[in-house]
Amino acid sequence: MPDTLEHEAEQLSALADGELDPNGVARTCAKWQARGPAHATWHAYHLIGDVLRSEDLAGLPRRDYVCLDTLREKLAREPVIFAPGTSVRSSAAVGWARKPWAALSAVAAGFGAVAVVLIVLREPAGDSEFRAEKSAGPGASAVAANYSSAASRPGSAPQALFADGRLVRDARLDRYLDAHKQFSGVSALGVPSTFLRGATSDASNR
Amino acid sequence: MNAPDADAALVDRTKAGDVKAFEMLVVKYQRRIERLIGRMVRDVDLVPDIAQETFIRAYRAIPQFRGESAFYTWLYRIAVNSAKKALMELKRDPTVTESALAARDDDDETSRVENELSDGETPEALLASKQIAAAVNSAMQTLSEELRQAITLREIEGLSYEEIAELMNCPIGTVRSRIFRAREAIAQRLRPLLGTREGDRW
Repeated sequence: MPDTLEHEAEQLSALADGELDPNGVARTCAKWQARGPAHATWHAYHLIGDVLRSEDLAGLPRRDYVCLDTLREKLAREPVIFAPGTSVRSSAAVGWARKPWAALSAVAAGFGAVAVVLIVLREPAGDSEFRAEKSAGPGASAVAANYSSAASRPGSAPQALFADGRLVRDARLDRYLDAHKQFSGVSALGVPSTFLRGATSDASNR
Repeated sequence: MNAPDADAALVDRTKAGDVKAFEMLVVKYQRRIERLIGRMVRDVDLVPDIAQETFIRAYRAIPQFRGESAFYTWLYRIAVNSAKKALMELKRDPTVTESALAARDDDDETSRVENELSDGETPEALLASKQIAAAVNSAMQTLSEELRQAITLREIEGLSYEEIAELMNCPIGTVRSRIFRAREAIAQRLRPLLGTREGDRW
């Protein structure tokens, strides 16, 4: 097997196990074509896993391919989904979180999240339109820019969900808050925040 | 859910608008979902349609998927609901016979044989499925001990690369390589049966 083909098949194998880095995932998805070589390899690898676990899953690929063809036609008629935000923990994400600089990045993301929350909460209840122009900080302006570009994409859905003029869900805000929550026990000083809270209460009790 | 979800990356890409990522998830779970639906619905000719509906409903609902359970657990629930909904709709249809309405009984050997033949699978197709299973098992026997152990721990025991590395006392990169080489060795034996040509990987 040529080196390039072997590398790319190995990427598919790692992706099957959730062990491929985000850039690798993006490249692999970009190369995906129904009934293409990547499809055949992906199908074979998963058929192997299914059969190892249960022999009654040893179906023929012909039927699988026909089912996918039909489904693709139906998916093409569906509205385009756009709800970005890492809501699911992957092995790659867990590996990222263990890196020493990840805590500082997460704290910085936390400050960004606070800035975004302040923007969102400042919107009046009756205002059903998210005003992306308002921003309170660098993190928020990056979010605002992304909202603007997302809104201009044809067929794209808004990232923020409103009901009766009130913000119900904001996928990007969720991501910032999740990143902040993951390290909620560590303060910006690197000291556990519980220790600081304890010191504050001790001081107030004197 | 504590363990990382192997489908997380593809789910997130789907949520970001990449329908190809969702197609990859469909290929991954199609057989399992069809088997689940087939166990709930007596008329196996309905299975492909209910499976299609399951995946369409999952695609529409994926923006709300928060990762509190594994993706496959969530998809499984959608499949069960889709099958139940189909059974309810059949009940309302006056042209449907009683035998079609009853949920499948695994102890009913007669109906099982009838269903195997009625879903379009000829005896030749069933034989081909058995050949695929035999080829996988045979290929496993020819693997080296370390490759067989790696793919067994991953596919049957469901361990992560990190856990396998600890068990096999080797780096994670070695685990990744061994699992890939095992899969590729088995796939080489399967490809003649699947109708996939040697060069058709990319």
